[in-house]
Amino acid sequence: MSTLRTLALLAAPVAVALVAWSCEPQPNALAPNIGTPLAHFQPGNFVCTPLKMTGGGRIDYPPEQTTKNPPASHEYETFGAHVMGSGRQDANGVCLADKGALEWVDHRREMEVNGHPLNLHATEVTFAEVATDASCTDGAVHWGGKLRVQNTGQNDLDFEVWDCDNGEPGVGHDGFAIHVPAIDYQVSCFTVTPADPTCYLTGGNRQFHPTH
Amino acid sequence: MNIDTFRRAILTVGLVLPMSWTAGSVATQTARSFGVRVSTPTINQTTTSAVLPPGGDMVTNSGQSVAVGGLATAQDAFAIVSGDADPTYGSSAVSSATLGAVNLLSGLITADGVVAVASSWIGDATGSDGEGSSLANLVVNGVSVDDPAPNTRLNLPGAGYVVLNEQIPTGDGVTTSGITVNMIHVVLTNLLGAKTGDVIVGSATSGVTR
Repeated sequence: MSTLRTLALLAAPVAVALVAWSCEPQPNALAPNIGTPLAHFQPGNFVCTPLKMTGGGRIDYPPEQTTKNPPASHEYETFGAHVMGSGRQDANGVCLADKGALEWVDHRREMEVNGHPLNLHATEVTFAEVATDASCTDGAVHWGGKLRVQNTGQNDLDFEVWDCDNGEPGVGHDGFAIHVPAIDYQVSCFTVTPADPTCYLTGGNRQFHPTH
Repeated sequence: MNIDTFRRAILTVGLVLPMSWTAGSVATQTARSFGVRVSTPTINQTTTSAVLPPGGDMVTNSGQSVAVGGLATAQDAFAIVSGDADPTYGSSAVSSATLGAVNLLSGLITADGVVAVASSWIGDATGSDGEGSSLANLVVNGVSVDDPAPNTRLNLPGAGYVVLNEQIPTGDGVTTSGITVNMIHVVLTNLLGAKTGDVIVGSATSGVTR
C-alpha cells in the first residue's frame, strides 16, 4: 500500500507538468486539420451563432509589435477581410459562413513573387464561428475557406484566419492572423497579443457584430 | 389663408420636417481609396479605385503598372475598402491604398512604398485615424524626406507644392467622424501661383455616421 502511495506521489507532479505543458501555445501545432474549425483561440471554445466581422488594416513584421516599422523596411502586410454567418451548421457540425471576402498583400521584399508583392485572394469562405474568448472584448471569429495566390494562379488553397475585435481604436488593440498551409505561409503571434494567435494591427480596425 | 399664415406653413415644413428626418436617420459608412488621381484641364483620371457600396461589405482593386498622363507612374497598386453600418453594435469603415515604386513629374518626386490607411468607427467610442500610413524612401526634388509629419508642405520650384501625409478630418466627433489621408498630394500652379491641377498618390477615405 505504501509503495502504491509512493508511486502516486511520484506520478502526480509528472501528470501536472504534462497537463501544464499541453496548455502552452504550440506554434507548430497550427492547423493540422484545416478546412474545419480548430479550437485555437484561448480558451478554445467556439459557438455557432450569427456574426459579422468587417474592416482591414496593416500588420508589421515581426508581427508581435503594436507600432509600425520604419517606412523603408517594407516589413508589413495590408489586408481587407469581411465575413458573415447566420449560425447554420452542416451535417458534420461545421458552422457555415454565408459570405465573405479576404484580400491579403504581403509587402515584404523576401515574400515577393516575380518582383511583385505576394497577393492572396479568397475565392470562397466556407466556415465562420464565434470564439468565446474573453480577451477580445467586442468579439472574435475563426473563419476560413479557399483562396488563390494571385501571383502564381495557385487555386483552391485552404486558408483560415483568426480575427479579434478588442475595442477602439483598432491599432494596438485588434488582432488578425492567417495560415495557408499548402504554401507554408502564416502570419501569427503567440505572446502578448489580444488573443493567440492573432497579431496586433498597426493600422486599420476590425469591427465585430453579433448579428447576421 | 393670408400671406403670413402661408409663410409660417412654409417655415414649419422647411424647418421641422428636416429635423424629424435627422432624428430617424440610419447609421451609414463610407470608404473609398485609390492609387493615383490626376486632375488637370486636359486630364481627369483616377486609377486603381475602390468604393464601398451603401450596404457595406468589401471591395478591392489592383494594378501591377499604373501610368497617368505622363505625370505619374506607379507599380503594384492595391485599393481595399471594407465596412458596415450598424446602429446597434457600432459602425466602422476602413480603407487602404498601397503602391510600390512611384515616380511623379519625371522624377521630381519618387518613393518605393506608399501606404495610406483611413479608419473610422462609431459606437461606444467615436473616432477616425490614419494610423498605419507611411512613405518609404521618399525623395522630393533630390532631397530625402523621412517619415513626414501629417500635412508637411514642401515647395516644388516651377511646379507648385506638395503636401505629404495630408490628413483631412471630417465630422463632429460625436454623431459623425471621418478622415481622408492623401500620402502625396501635388498641387500644380502656374507662374502666377494660381492652381492648375492636382496629382494625388495613395488616398484613403473613411467615414461613419450614427
